[in-house]
Amino acid sequence: MDDDDRVFKALADPTRRHLLDRLFERDGRTLTELESELEMSRFGVMKHLRVLEDAGIVVPRRQGREKLHFLNPVPIRLIHDRWIDKYTEHRVAALADLKHELEETG
Amino acid sequence: MTTATALTTQVYSVYIKATPEQIWDAITDPAWTVRYFYGARIEVGPEWRKVYSPDGGDDWGSTSVQEFDPPRRLVHEWKSSYNAELAAEAPSRVTWEIEPQEDGTTLLTVVHDRLEGAPKTAESVSGTGWMYVLSGLKTLLETGEPLSA
Repeated sequence: MDDDDRVFKALADPTRRHLLDRLFERDGRTLTELESELEMSRFGVMKHLRVLEDAGIVVPRRQGREKLHFLNPVPIRLIHDRWIDKYTEHRVAALADLKHELEETG
Repeated sequence: MTTATALTTQVYSVYIKATPEQIWDAITDPAWTVRYFYGARIEVGPEWRKVYSPDGGDDWGSTSVQEFDPPRRLVHEWKSSYNAELAAEAPSRVTWEIEPQEDGTTLLTVVHDRLEGAPKTAESVSGTGWMYVLSGLKTLLETGEPLSA
């Protein structure tokens, strides 16, 4: 599996995307904090975090006695640069605007 | 009791197919930095990190260096002198960690912290800020070409 495969695999799961959203709201959190927001065993959350760490999207850092989990958006950015920037940024931006507008008014 | 770490500590990391020495040169030599760091001319020595505009005329955020350990670790202050509003905020800190991996790649991690006194800077360097720099650095070292603007 190459780097991009790991990122797509990590993102291909609703629980893991939910974990990323929680970290986006507030970065640098412990396993216990993340676990408290999910209906899932500690072991389950650990397993999902592990997949996110393998993909490099979550980076664990020790701070004193705690292990904090940080969102690292760079691997997603690299996919953006590889698959979006180069080809179709203008068209994608137009579509994103359109989607946004329709959802606002809908 | 949880600590509010939102945006006050930011972590960015990327695997690069390059040696630690190549990465060290790319982050400390202005001939490299102009090609991926928003055009900034950045020269780093044991005492100072000098950051200038592409023409060398404006100081974009020169600061002191706290740790200088080539090619593995660099710690320096951060000041956003390139923008008047951000420049008024308290200085923060940037740590570069360069760790060779068993597969021949190198893991580069940038930690931007002590941002408690610089909320606007924190906002500004998140989003595309550091991501653009690291993505551009990886592309430059691996392909020899800068990212297209």
